[in-house]
Amino acid sequence: MATEYATPEEYNLADLMCCAAAREVQDNEVVFAGTGLPMVAILLAQKTHAPYLKLIFEAGTLDGRPPELPTSVGDARCEMGASRSSGLYDAFCIAQRGYVDLGFLGGAEVDEYGNVNTTCIGDYLNPELRLTGSGGNPDINSFAKRTVFIMVHEKRRFTPNVSYITSPGWRVKNWPGGEFVHRRELYGATYRGGPSAVISTAGVFRFDDVTGRIYLDTCHPGKTPEEIRDMCQFDLDISRVNGETLPPSREELRIIHEVLDPDEIFIPKVKKG
Amino acid sequence: MSINKRITLQQAAEIIKDGSRLTFSGFTIWRRPMAIVYELIRQHRKNLHLIEVQGGSHSEFLIGAGCVDIWESCWIGHELYGKYGANLSRKVAEKQLIVEDYTHAEMMFRFAAAASGAAYGVTQTSLGTDLRNPEYDMLGRAGLRDGVRIPKHKYQFTEDPFFGAGPQILIPPAKVDIAVMCVQQVGEEGTVRINGQYYSDPEVARAADITIVMAEEIVPEEYLRRNADQNNIVSFEVDHILECPFGAHPTGMFGRYDVDGPFLKDFYGRTRTQEGFDDFAKEWIHGQDHMSYLEKLGWPRMLKLRANTALNYSVREKKGGK
Repeated sequence: MATEYATPEEYNLADLMCCAAAREVQDNEVVFAGTGLPMVAILLAQKTHAPYLKLIFEAGTLDGRPPELPTSVGDARCEMGASRSSGLYDAFCIAQRGYVDLGFLGGAEVDEYGNVNTTCIGDYLNPELRLTGSGGNPDINSFAKRTVFIMVHEKRRFTPNVSYITSPGWRVKNWPGGEFVHRRELYGATYRGGPSAVISTAGVFRFDDVTGRIYLDTCHPGKTPEEIRDMCQFDLDISRVNGETLPPSREELRIIHEVLDPDEIFIPKVKKG
Repeated sequence: MSINKRITLQQAAEIIKDGSRLTFSGFTIWRRPMAIVYELIRQHRKNLHLIEVQGGSHSEFLIGAGCVDIWESCWIGHELYGKYGANLSRKVAEKQLIVEDYTHAEMMFRFAAAASGAAYGVTQTSLGTDLRNPEYDMLGRAGLRDGVRIPKHKYQFTEDPFFGAGPQILIPPAKVDIAVMCVQQVGEEGTVRINGQYYSDPEVARAADITIVMAEEIVPEEYLRRNADQNNIVSFEVDHILECPFGAHPTGMFGRYDVDGPFLKDFYGRTRTQEGFDDFAKEWIHGQDHMSYLEKLGWPRMLKLRANTALNYSVREKKGGK
């Protein structure tokens, strides 16, 4: 049976991003997920094309199959059906050891090499706004083979210079001097990969294999490449656009709203009428 | 039978002196020792140095109340009930608080190092980020790295001397004076049984010089020793114990009660300003004790949060707290 895709009035941006994120997951992969939309995306993948993905929650749930959506990674709902429930030491040892294929992360700002900031806005020593801090974002991004960032798309957030590099992209700072070098050069034998995609509220972005520079891969329906380029402070490469982001299928929407998140904790439903 | 480890809530807070290096059980908005946190605020504790695997609502309460001078950690907020730590953010902007940033894995490995008596932890995380920026050593900038209470360096680089795996980051052990824990069960001699994810509790309890365990219930020690494989913290790692039902509220406790989302949302919404915090503290903390606090919350609210014993979470509380 052919997949029935939803029409634009049947879904919203959160649905679209959630499905785009779920499609980044391959079956049997070990996936690290944080609280929020990534959690829904991974459970969606688990209930569709990747039933044997191994889900890790940072607080200490390993190979989890939660029957109900947790509200955060510390939630009692996390560990039902898990292979092991323990703690953060296990989770981070497993990550540093190299078991993790894919991590889903968020960020307040991103630059054209995938460096992400979740620490502060403005000068670190005199911040305009202190944010939540790194959490496990840089850890997962250092240890996993691939990471996918899910972000709100605003011009101020897609910037040539993030206020603080919390999480390492493809060109990072070589301390103590701070000159930019390719990540591969700096990480040496511990190099495993890096950011593979950014899914924003405008489109899906990927990174050039050689230069590590970001480019636009697909536009969310209704957006043009030029519009998206205008939503970045840096000169976005739009020469490799691969059409529109695939819309959610009706089945994916059913799973999101009827099975995973009926209470609209993370993904609001489309308002009817 | 060893010495009696039982203390009161008030005594627990009195053990924590001004200037203590303090850490906690739990994870973000789960199993935080809130009843002791409230008591510390009532007792006007000052100059605390929090060293935590990650922060959460409890840190925001202590920081908002002006109890904290230094916060060494990686994350603060209330998960989906408040997206960042508004009190910390305000105090940082006003330069009333020193924040020393590490990553989550680093903080965990720092506690694991301290818990094993190691001179340092070692990791390969976050090379090339501003976490490695030598200008951003905030305790160093403040001239506080005395090598006694605070490590001489934020971190050190080295190369793998054994297999040539490249750059390594040495991180100082998280040496803390006191760990304040909030768990489901503790035995009379201090044995701890945690249900659900135990987060970083075993390492945190072992790392601290003094460990205080506040439990939903104190149970007979021999009951826990019948199934020693289910216990998480060893009796002699625990110095003081107390029983305090709903002691983690408004944070949640696996198998006992859920996070009180509306309470945290209210806190987050009202404490953006110092006046707002003071007003909130006047309403919920000052002039109260734990029992009057629970009375103020009321039975209907507590019953709504109470976990289903088969599922370990509440089926009455609407998720998301909307």
